[in-house]
Amino acid sequence: MTSAPANKQQASADPFRPTVVVSGDGDRLVLAGALEIVTLAEARNSLKKWSKPGPSRSLNVAKLDSLDTPGALFLCGLKDKGVELTGIRAEHRALLDLICGLDLKPLPKVESVPHWRQIIIQLGKGAHDARHEVLDIITFVGRAASWTVNALIHPASLRPASISRHVTETGINALPIIGLMAVMIAIVIGYQGVAQLRPFGGEDFTINLVAVSVLREMGVLITAIMVAGRSGSAFTAEIGVMQTREEVDALKVMGIEPMQVLVVPRVIALVITLPLLTFFADIMGLIGGAAIAQFLLDVSPVQYLTRLPQVIDGSDLFVGLFKAPVFAFFIAIIGCMHGLKVSGSAESVGRETTRAVVKSIFLVLVLDAFFSILFEKIGI
Amino acid sequence: MTTRATTHAKPILSARGIVNRFGKQVVHDKLSLDIVPGEIIGIAGGSGSGKSVLLKTLTGLHEPNAGEVLLNGKAVQSIGAAEKAALFGVLFQQGALFSSLSVAQNIMLPMREHTALPAAEQEQIAAMKLALTGLPAESGIKFPSALSGGMVKRAAFARALALDPKILFLDEPTSNLDPIAASGIDTLIRQLNDSLGITVVIVTHDLTTLFTICGRIAVLVDRKVTVDTADKLMKSDHPWIHEFFHGPRAEGAMNARKTSHGN
Repeated sequence: MTSAPANKQQASADPFRPTVVVSGDGDRLVLAGALEIVTLAEARNSLKKWSKPGPSRSLNVAKLDSLDTPGALFLCGLKDKGVELTGIRAEHRALLDLICGLDLKPLPKVESVPHWRQIIIQLGKGAHDARHEVLDIITFVGRAASWTVNALIHPASLRPASISRHVTETGINALPIIGLMAVMIAIVIGYQGVAQLRPFGGEDFTINLVAVSVLREMGVLITAIMVAGRSGSAFTAEIGVMQTREEVDALKVMGIEPMQVLVVPRVIALVITLPLLTFFADIMGLIGGAAIAQFLLDVSPVQYLTRLPQVIDGSDLFVGLFKAPVFAFFIAIIGCMHGLKVSGSAESVGRETTRAVVKSIFLVLVLDAFFSILFEKIGI
Repeated sequence: MTTRATTHAKPILSARGIVNRFGKQVVHDKLSLDIVPGEIIGIAGGSGSGKSVLLKTLTGLHEPNAGEVLLNGKAVQSIGAAEKAALFGVLFQQGALFSSLSVAQNIMLPMREHTALPAAEQEQIAAMKLALTGLPAESGIKFPSALSGGMVKRAAFARALALDPKILFLDEPTSNLDPIAASGIDTLIRQLNDSLGITVVIVTHDLTTLFTICGRIAVLVDRKVTVDTADKLMKSDHPWIHEFFHGPRAEGAMNARKTSHGN
């Protein structure tokens, strides 16, 4: 046993160009050098022609300087085929005994499903999941709404500190980015409007176009999408991480309802902030419109301000602001719902966050389409 | 105990004058440690004494503020990726198995990256590593999320052994395991050391592991390291080392040692 370290050191003196040499002929061959993972292919090739079965074949391994586990596995394979290993060094004996003694089974094959069946299975799974998702959302919306109403009826159970923290995080910290996006979207609409209306000599109507579309649709949509990406995902990640660390279970054990302390403050905070953010986005969008008017239409800001009341009225502002709390409610609910769905592992936090963002943006657009039809029907 | 270490062999890995600082907090102050080929050395120390940082420094994952780590006389930071992969195997505390790959694919990843073996042969070797670490072949197609804690450790062990490294670093190999699984891991470490001559560096709190399989123990105290055999460290008069080796838990581990040495 004591000669082993010396041998190991010798092998590691130049371990990256090890070679294996097969010499001798007939039934008696000699293997010399290093039989390691890097030389395995070489050894296999050299011994390929030798593979014809014969009763009295032997392989001398006394000159083998180093042997690793794949090498030993290879030698064990030869031994199983009836090759006699001779001159095994003491330090290789233990390794060979260990590897040859293993109960080796090939890795099981992963069952492969034909492509067409996979598609059908996926479709079925998708439909099944979609049904459950819808049921989940409906149940959760119901529970969250009931807890929120309960909290509003009993204001003592409200958590003002938590609500104000979420108002800061979802509202005040989002002001710069939302303001910037609102200005940008007004500029985009303005440029398109000027380009399309100029051939008809109606480029002045660009002001109407920008003001009405920002107030009715763009302001609230941009804000809601931004908040879904920014705060909805944060809700999922925060609650999800608490879920992986068993903090949610700890709350339940203490007799504190997670709905009440985790979900309700977030829902209330977002329902407060999203309308305010939308109003801010509207103002910034109108400022963007003023910039367009100045630079593309030569309409001064003062003229722009005097024209605004003629092209928009209260209902435009109301239509936009009315949608905000509804969007906020659903963004917060979806974010919290997916946070509570997180199970154990860290990767499920990432997966649920993605789902929450996709689903809340989807839902915002669906609701917006619904509102468009509704307002059209009732004539606002 | 049949550890292969020869007492005055040239060190395979040596840390010289390591200084690690985080802000104003000095974790290691001119620490030196020699690891000889074929030995099993345990690194012990209290929580926050810098065991994991030392392990990261030894493997070249963390660059110390001062000092150097030499592997066969060569600075560990300057060793190429392929060479390092063939020399070092690391078992991370949480296993660090890639969650998007099956267990067998995890084991085959270093082989695929650094050798030219055909896929069938890689699979054969992966199956052998699984058997070596005591996992059934069926676990090869499972994904890490479907494994229990003990199986994760074994699978991570199999991956650390993928390229037959010269030095195996184990970060808390027996933590979070039941006693049966833990002693299974201990046996495995000793078996690999016996049959392959792998040098093993174990960072652990587990006194049984320290007493039963480690030839020498490096205790991290006062930002330095005290290295000796368990027997000699028992006689140390440093208060922390004394407490460590004479506390109520140490007694039980000593009994385990007597039993295992009796075999």
